[in-house]
Amino acid sequence: MPPVLSPLPFPANLMTLANGLTIIHQHTPTPVAAVDVWVKAGAIAEPDEWAGMAHFLEHMLFKGTERLAPGAFDLAIERRGGITNAATSYDYAHYFMTTATQHLEETLPYLAELLLHAAIPDSEFGRERQVVLEEIHQSYDNPDWLAFQSLNEMVYQRHPYGRSILGTEEALMARSPAEMRQFHRAHYQPENMTVVVVGDMPKSAAIDLVSQTFQSFTPPLDCPRYVSEAEPPITDIRRQEIHLPRLEQARLLMAWIGPGIDSQSQNLDEQLQAAYGLDILSVLLAEGRTSRLVRELREERNLVQAIGSSFSLQRESGLFTISAWLAPEHLERVEAIICDRISQLSATPISEAELARCKRLLCNDYAFSTETPGQLAGLYGYYSILAHPQVATTYPQRLQAMQATDLQCLANRYLSPYHYAATVVRPLS
Amino acid sequence: MTLGIKQSPQTRTVLLNGMVVLIWENPSADIVAARIFIRAGSQWEAPQTAGLSHLLSAVLTKGTEQRSSLQIAEQVESVGASLGTDSATDYFLLSLKTVSADFADLLQLAGELLRSPSFPQHEIDLERRQTIQAIRSQQEQPFSIAFDQLRRIMYGDHPYALSGLGTEASVTQLERTDLQRHHQTHFRPDNIVISLSGRLQPDAAIALVEKVFGDWQAPATPLPVLSLPAITSKPVRAAIAQETQQSIVMLGYLAPAVVRERDETLGNGAIAASPLLTASMQEYTALKLLNSYLGNGLSSRLFVELREKRGLAYDVSAFYPTRLHPAQFVVYMGTAPENTAIALEGLKAEVDRLRTHPFDPETLQAAKDKILGQHALGKQTNAQIAQTFGWYETLGLGIDFDTQFQEQVRAVTVEATQVAADRYLVEPYRSLVGPSAVVKE
Repeated sequence: MPPVLSPLPFPANLMTLANGLTIIHQHTPTPVAAVDVWVKAGAIAEPDEWAGMAHFLEHMLFKGTERLAPGAFDLAIERRGGITNAATSYDYAHYFMTTATQHLEETLPYLAELLLHAAIPDSEFGRERQVVLEEIHQSYDNPDWLAFQSLNEMVYQRHPYGRSILGTEEALMARSPAEMRQFHRAHYQPENMTVVVVGDMPKSAAIDLVSQTFQSFTPPLDCPRYVSEAEPPITDIRRQEIHLPRLEQARLLMAWIGPGIDSQSQNLDEQLQAAYGLDILSVLLAEGRTSRLVRELREERNLVQAIGSSFSLQRESGLFTISAWLAPEHLERVEAIICDRISQLSATPISEAELARCKRLLCNDYAFSTETPGQLAGLYGYYSILAHPQVATTYPQRLQAMQATDLQCLANRYLSPYHYAATVVRPLS
Repeated sequence: MTLGIKQSPQTRTVLLNGMVVLIWENPSADIVAARIFIRAGSQWEAPQTAGLSHLLSAVLTKGTEQRSSLQIAEQVESVGASLGTDSATDYFLLSLKTVSADFADLLQLAGELLRSPSFPQHEIDLERRQTIQAIRSQQEQPFSIAFDQLRRIMYGDHPYALSGLGTEASVTQLERTDLQRHHQTHFRPDNIVISLSGRLQPDAAIALVEKVFGDWQAPATPLPVLSLPAITSKPVRAAIAQETQQSIVMLGYLAPAVVRERDETLGNGAIAASPLLTASMQEYTALKLLNSYLGNGLSSRLFVELREKRGLAYDVSAFYPTRLHPAQFVVYMGTAPENTAIALEGLKAEVDRLRTHPFDPETLQAAKDKILGQHALGKQTNAQIAQTFGWYETLGLGIDFDTQFQEQVRAVTVEATQVAADRYLVEPYRSLVGPSAVVKE
């Protein structure tokens, strides 16, 4: 693939404190400030028996510290008109807030206090576990969640990417508050953490504020860790059928393993080029009415209600997926057509017009999703966990460098009609 | 909290043909967002044509006198723009987002879609089938089922009773002539608000809108007048049994529209300032505040009392949308089946408490600061700005409403919250979905 030419300079300030904490700051003009704290403490940090711990901990963080009562942070920020929330994925957990800039100085210390000194009180543990169990029950009532979870389990038979981030009732019931404190103390350490501040605050003020508030980390504890095992490659078609009650239409989900960031076999530039190339192929196949699969399967042949495709980039493995919602009687036919269209990608380079459309669409999506301080903070934090923050803004340049022949090679390498995983969901008859 | 940004769009212009153009100049990003509102949502549908606006929205982008569905999609997608149509209860919407250099071409296309759609028969057939499937698919989600049930028991014969998709029976019978008639009746320049935000110069933007829409003449016939059934509150309980993992428990109270209608024939947002306006806006604002206090955010009353302290739910919240006609003030949660009765009681007790326990000054101030801050943070993107101001203008509230609303919030008194709660939050409609053993009486 051609080298990436003269990327734009990284528009944010980046620094690492002596304790290992990464800080990213960018000035934006509106009087709003967003802070997003990213921690390398997602579900992949859990050993199998601790499944669900990272996500449950994210809930328990809000239960306060020795100095802060449960909910005190939520009230402090919302009382000042700000918003806050958090999310957990496989590679990370992150905690974000947006507020009028004038209130940042008084509210950020609360968030830092939670992250650094979470008390994880015994008295709150059982009650909040009930909340997480309700979150799990809600997912079990969602056929799309069940389908995607089944697909992940099939693709990743050993890796934590195959488990539910939420864990299971059984796994959660077996864990104690002491173990959660151990997990917290092991992972919520400065070298695992990036604090992003985007807003109309000068660089020096932002860095001073973060350095002062993210200072007194508790000494790390050891904690059981996930031991990586070689994941067997998909060498045939793995298939699972699920039958669900109250289902009004079938689902077909197909998945191929793609590049992850931490691959040993390629350098970062190669991994990113491959990942963004797969982004382009997902758009080519199923984004918009002119995309190949939407046009053929929905618009022309009326075989599906909807069809989509995406490439999800993660540290240890990427996942290319195609999902269709359709009548059960069309399942086999649609899967066969998709396989045929997938094999075309390796056989014939895509047209220049299609390539231009896909690039334009992704570049604009990128521009449209970096409008607000909160969006920018999220983008930088995500890439900080994934690789390093400067990668974030190279996305448009890397996309522009892609050629039709590069995409053909990628399809040939990653997207085989003979090696994939498929989950089929049918109505329970 | 004010964010220091201007409190209203910089310009509001009425073209000679009656079309209203709002422009918010925001040069910070190379983006233009447009929201084109037409007063043609599902409330203008008769029961037998329920779903008409939605079907129109699905087919409007699929052919004009000059272009095929694919040509339209190619023009949008080749420049990485987004163009979508949607139908809500009170309005029909065309949304557009582009980088600024492409905006003129895309607005031209939007004009062509709005003015001369051709409704190809095979596209109608396709989208009708898809809509029927979508109606069935709503039945897969317990929340949708519960909300659908709540709408029906609260609104009876009123069009607000139905999801915008319509019913299988009504959609099956929709014909091309229905679409054409609906389009001819409502799609006229004096029934449209164009709201723009982004890297635009107001003069050039007005000239562009004028070029695209200026020669579109409103017909001599007056705008359609709505005659809708009166909505009266007769709270009942309804339940649907399904062997789900969770029960959904929902309480709904009939609450005022943003402005109380002078009579039920009003329907085109032509609301003049009047003492009634002020009185009804006060109630609306007080209830907005109460709803936000109950259900908005991690420090909200329902979240703290029912989730944090009692572990009853993951999803527990409240909403009270801004509507032309009496709206729903809703509180809900998903809970373990064995907790269904406790959840219902808990939600009801929290709403009742609004009547029995007046706010102390600190609580009232906190609730105000929260809603004002979130209101401001809801206008960060160009699309959010275009949507907010376009919607207020479509309702007939004008571009100053955003500022007035914030002033009204600041002015809410403890007494006003009491009056509103006593008047509207007394006896709820109850909608339950869950295992038969727990939802059947």
